[in-house]
Amino acid sequence: MDDHLTPTEERDALAAELALGLLEGQTRADALRLSLSDPAFAAQVAAWEAKLAPLHDEWADAQPGAAVWSGIERQLADAPTDKVTAIEMRLRRWRAGALLSGAVAAALAFVLITQPVPTPTPAAPQLAVARIESDAAGPLVLARYNQSNGLMQLRIHGFEPGTLAPELWVIPEGGTPVSLGQIGHAGEAEMTMPPPHRLLMTEGATLAITMEPVSKTPHPAPSSVAVASGKIITI
Amino acid sequence: MDGTQWSSGADEARAQLTAALTAVGRGDRAALRQVYDMTAAKLFGICLRICGERASAEDVLQTVYIKVWERAGQFDAARASPITWLATIARNGAIDWRRSVSGRTVRDTLPEQAAFAVADDSPLADQSLVAAEEGEQLHRCLGELEDRTRLCIRAAFFDGSTYAELATRENVPLGTMKSWIRRGLLRLKDCLGDG
Repeated sequence: MDDHLTPTEERDALAAELALGLLEGQTRADALRLSLSDPAFAAQVAAWEAKLAPLHDEWADAQPGAAVWSGIERQLADAPTDKVTAIEMRLRRWRAGALLSGAVAAALAFVLITQPVPTPTPAAPQLAVARIESDAAGPLVLARYNQSNGLMQLRIHGFEPGTLAPELWVIPEGGTPVSLGQIGHAGEAEMTMPPPHRLLMTEGATLAITMEPVSKTPHPAPSSVAVASGKIITI
Repeated sequence: MDGTQWSSGADEARAQLTAALTAVGRGDRAALRQVYDMTAAKLFGICLRICGERASAEDVLQTVYIKVWERAGQFDAARASPITWLATIARNGAIDWRRSVSGRTVRDTLPEQAAFAVADDSPLADQSLVAAEEGEQLHRCLGELEDRTRLCIRAAFFDGSTYAELATRENVPLGTMKSWIRRGLLRLKDCLGDG
């Protein structure tokens, strides 16, 4: 049956389907990925959740066993040590650093923000850059990636410190998000990208940031929508 | 936590819950216990209905409150009621479980149509955790849909059913089911108005 939905209606129906939970398998994975990389779509999903919210009045209450709360307490008791380790690990991977100097950062911002893009000298190593931002005046991360040595440098602005940490993802065109680990709330950071991840840093891929529970290892998949995203541009 | 407590002082309960959730956002563990005491029965009802059996529902409920602990800093009282925010996390957590490999395996061993107490199609005049006006409007708009479409949308919401499950249940092709529900949802949106 063909319903002849316009692309706008199609997109809205997909948001409704994701909010309602009708999807499964690849379709669901694709829709979740879209909600991660596209804040406008994520907002549509949230709007549908809000429209359906009055139905939450109708659930029948049920009493969980006492073991549930003890389980929660146990997990929380483990948390502080985890958090310390996570921060140490994060610092090891993302060295908050002097290497992206103020001058380099200013030049990077210039490249990103102004037109025209300066002509790269032929001998210069190929660079990829991305401006990872939200629609609102929210967090902003400038990323600079040197393809010749795999060095990724970040300048991070505007994350509120809290129980969640910003996690950076690279999303290949038509692919699933791959975590590049958690980054700091502000300042500068750098990491030499592991070789398998370097292949993902191509023109048109998306860099996105979600707020995730602090973890010493990169998460296998994002748990929430992106707070900022941007396309990789090679220069 | 029971219904009468909510209905006798819904606004006060909502304000208390908002305050507790805000405190959780600042890392206050005692406040998490308070949120748990106020909402565990409601959220467990959601998990139990969608998961279909207690042990899995309790596992999911535990992860739900850990998520609440981790994400409470993002709760914005100006944008959502606290119980809606919590219920959405619980429902999404239960649906994630139901779509996972272990969820599907467990579900396959359950008797069909495990009987849980939410009627298929009976809006309750309930405890006003959610603003009453919005509830009235949604129920009016749902009421304007064809019966079969409304029942399928409700089954998706309350049972966490997929298109494929609903198509089997109604004995129609998958494409037909998608078409019913998509058209129903877009009509619902028109009826509710944007915003």
